[in-house]
Parts: sequence; structure tokens; C-alpha cells
Amino acid sequence: MNRIRHYLRAINAENIKEWKIELRYKPDFIRQFFEPFVYLFPYFLYGFALLGSRNSEHLKSLTGISDIFAFVFVGYLIMGFLNTACWAMGASLRKEQWYGTLETIFVAPVPRWVYVAGMALHSTLHQGLIMFIEALVVVLVFKIFFNISGLFYSLILLLLMISTLYGLGILVAGLTIGLKQWWVISEAVSTLVTIITPIAYPIAILPLFLQKIALFLPTTYGVMGIRHFLLGEYLTLGIHTIFFCIAIMLIIWIGFGLMIFLIMDRYGRKKGVLSLY
Amino acid sequence: MNIILAEIKKSYKILLAYPVEIAFWIFSPLLWAVPLVFQGKALIGGLSSEKFGEIAGTPDFIPYVLIGAIISTYMASSVWSMGFAMRDETFYGTLEHILSAPVKPVYILLGKAIFNSFLATTYVIIQLGICIIIFGLKITLYKIVPIVFFLILLIAGLYGIGFAAAGLTLLVKEAHGLLHLFEYILFLFSPIRYPVEINPITKAISVIIPLTYALIALRGLLLNIRFDFWKNSLILIGIDLIIIPLGLYIFSWVDRHTRQKGTLGEY
Repeated sequence: MNRIRHYLRAINAENIKEWKIELRYKPDFIRQFFEPFVYLFPYFLYGFALLGSRNSEHLKSLTGISDIFAFVFVGYLIMGFLNTACWAMGASLRKEQWYGTLETIFVAPVPRWVYVAGMALHSTLHQGLIMFIEALVVVLVFKIFFNISGLFYSLILLLLMISTLYGLGILVAGLTIGLKQWWVISEAVSTLVTIITPIAYPIAILPLFLQKIALFLPTTYGVMGIRHFLLGEYLTLGIHTIFFCIAIMLIIWIGFGLMIFLIMDRYGRKKGVLSLY
Repeated sequence: MNIILAEIKKSYKILLAYPVEIAFWIFSPLLWAVPLVFQGKALIGGLSSEKFGEIAGTPDFIPYVLIGAIISTYMASSVWSMGFAMRDETFYGTLEHILSAPVKPVYILLGKAIFNSFLATTYVIIQLGICIIIFGLKITLYKIVPIVFFLILLIAGLYGIGFAAAGLTLLVKEAHGLLHLFEYILFLFSPIRYPVEINPITKAISVIIPLTYALIALRGLLLNIRFDFWKNSLILIGIDLIIIPLGLYIFSWVDRHTRQKGTLGEY
């Protein structure tokens, strides 16, 4: 019990530390709240330019949803956590290398996963806050209405998806130890997942080989399932299948991510490149 | 001239040390546009839209989006590569050495600008080739002279912004937020992804952005869309005549200011 309390204190300490550093750079902190809109609005405006309105009959025939703003917004909102996984968690370790504090942190009397959990906690809270404000603004300005009855299951699915994505975040964090140009990998992974996940279009639009790959991504199930609960999107898979697949992926991705992290950690310490910038 | 060539040679050698970044900048602008291609197909159920054609001048949204993606390479180059041009020297620990050389800093900046524009142009040519082969993009290249003319005007205008960005990063140091702001404005308020006429705010702000006129002209030339050649070229020249001196002035002012304050080499 004492040990658990000890680890929880360490996780929270890491979380608080990240917040303190972020809040030292207030302009950049504030900018992050505008960034989602910068990348969301092109989807809205482009869709509007194609249709001359915000409703698409073809989209309705594929998904049951005609409102392109609602369709894209839900998908895009959820994908914010992909950026957290690919960027925020990976950048945390890189930042420690910049500050010269990585070795100090790594010799602390806690297992590595505690540090990673601290990063994940901070990322979740930070991204959650950004998403909440984004959701408030978009829903009010664009008058998007959701099925409130679907909110509970949406949150469960969201939690499962976030947890699975943290496996990816842990993997990227591990890669930063050995690969100094990690950001290229992070950006490539983030871009490919964004293309394959049905954010602004249903999965049926993708070429067949991409549809198959999409079924291995937690974001696919997350986006489809949450859109189903909140907007009534037609599902090509059963809802139980979605929950089952994402639960299996949670175990696999977290396990794989931790494994890579520990391998890269051992590699970094053996080669003596742990804190090498 | 020798200084500019030396700077180009140095930047090229540094680039070769990071070959993954070359591949990244060739493919990423195209990959970022792929979701829009899929979105278009999902919304329209085909490859062209009459509504889109009424605003954009062409109903074929895929070539429209792809050309915007390719030309946005210059935007990324001017904002990020130029923005971090001097900041990178701080990372390397060579900024003070370079700026204490018996040359005006503006020549060093010009060397970096010329290198980055050649590099961006190389990426653009490769991306165009990829679009022709993989996406079946059909373009008319016999109008190569006016295409090059507008590209030069675009590059000049964007690098005017880049000079200002390079200067501001000497002052602000942790300038990611500032560079993102430049990027957001160029990205949202120019017709990279969509015709700016779709919204009154995007249309209003787009008039001061060189990308707007360059994209109208380049799409017109490449996709055979009607556009006013003289209007777009004169406006672009006018914007360049303002932005380039302004960018250089901002850089020179910041350079002088940081030397006086002693913060030039501060990390």
C-alpha cells in the first residue's frame, strides 16, 4: 500500500512538473487552444465549398449522417488524443534531454513506468482541457446536437481508445531515447493514422487494403463507435465487436509499447547515449 | 556572392546529414492532402462538384487540393526553415561566429533563403511528378515561363515573411508559438485547401497574402482555369515590394537590438 502511494505521488509530481513548465510559456500554452480550430476549419470550409451547404446526401447514404460539420467534428475531436500520444509523450523525454535532467529522473527510486504514467496523466489532462474548450466552441457556434443517451458509452470507448493510444505514446517515448530525429517517425505515424482513421469520411471510402489496415487501429473503433453513440452513424461492425477489439488492442499496444520503451532504455544506458542530445 | 555560395554549400552539407528529413518533406505535404481527397469522395460520391466549380473555377477538387498541397511546401519552407535559420545556428553554437564575420548578416540570410527556395523547388518538382504518376494529375507545362514567373514572385513574397520570422526568432528565442501563428494565418486564409471566397473572413484576409494570388495564377496555368494574369502578377509584385524590405528591415532591427542588449547568443 505504501509503495502504491509512493508511486502515485511520483506520478502526480511528474504531472505537476509538466504543468509548471508549460505554464511558464504562456503564449505557447494559449496557442495550443487555437491549434485544433486551425486544422478543423479547413475540413469544414472545404466540405462547404464542395456542397454549397453543410449537408451531404451521399454521406447520409453511407453513414446515416448528413451534417458534415457534426460528422467531421466528432472524428477530429477524438483524434486530438492521437497527437497527445505521438507528440506530447515522445517530446517529454526529449525535453528532459534538452534540460539535461533525464539521467536525474531515471535514477529516481521508481520504475520507469511511473514516469511514463506521469507523462500520460499530464497529457490526458492537457488534451482533455483543449478538447473540452474546442467542443464547447464548435457545438455552440455551429449548433451541433448529440444523442445525450450515448454519452456514457462514448466516454467508456474514449477511455479505452486513449489507454490504447498511450501504448503508442510509450513506444514513441522509448524511441526518443535512441533516435534523436524521432519527430520524423512521430509525424509519419501520426499522418498515416490520420489518413487511415475514418475522421472526415466513412471507412468504406478507403481503398480495400487501407480498410483492412484501419481495423488494426484503435482510433478506427473509437471514432466509429463514438460517432455511432453520439450521432447515430451506421456501423459495419457490431458494437460488441468494437468494444472487444479495442480491449484486445489495449493489452497488445500497451504491452508492445512498454517492451520497446524498456528495450530502448536498456540500449540507451548500454551505449551511453541516454542523455545525449 | 562567395558568402551566399558558402552558406548554400554549408546548408546542403547539413541537410545531407539528415536524409530522413528529405523524404519527410517530399511526401508529407501530399499525405496531408489525402484526407481531403477522401473527404471529397465521401461528400460528393464522385470526382467533381458543380458547386465547387462555381467558386473555384474548376469542378475537379482533387487537382485543386493537390496543387494547393504542393505549393504549401513553399509556405512551410519560408516559415519554418527560414524562421529557424538563425535559431539553428544558436543550437549549433555558431551564431556569434557567423554574425561576427566581416559581412552583413543580410547576405547570410540571403544564402539561407536561396538554399531553402532551391530545396523547396526540388521537393515541389518531385511532388508534381508523384501526383502525375499516382494521382493521374493532368497539367499543362508548356506555359513554363509564366509558371516560373509566378513561382519567383511567390518565393520572394514568402521569404520576405521568412526574413521577418528569422529576425523575430533571434529576439523571442523559443519562437515555436510565433512561427505557428505565421503558419496558421497563411494556412487558414489562403486558398491552399479551399477557395477563400467560401467565407467573408477568409476572403478579406487573403487579399494581403502572396499565396492567394500565386495559387490562383498557378492553378490557372496548370489546370487551364481562367484568371486575370496582369491583375495577379501586379498585386504580387506590389506585395513583394512591401514585404521584402519590411522583412529585411525587421531582421536588421532585431539584429542590432539584440547586439545592443547582449542577448544575441542567449539560448
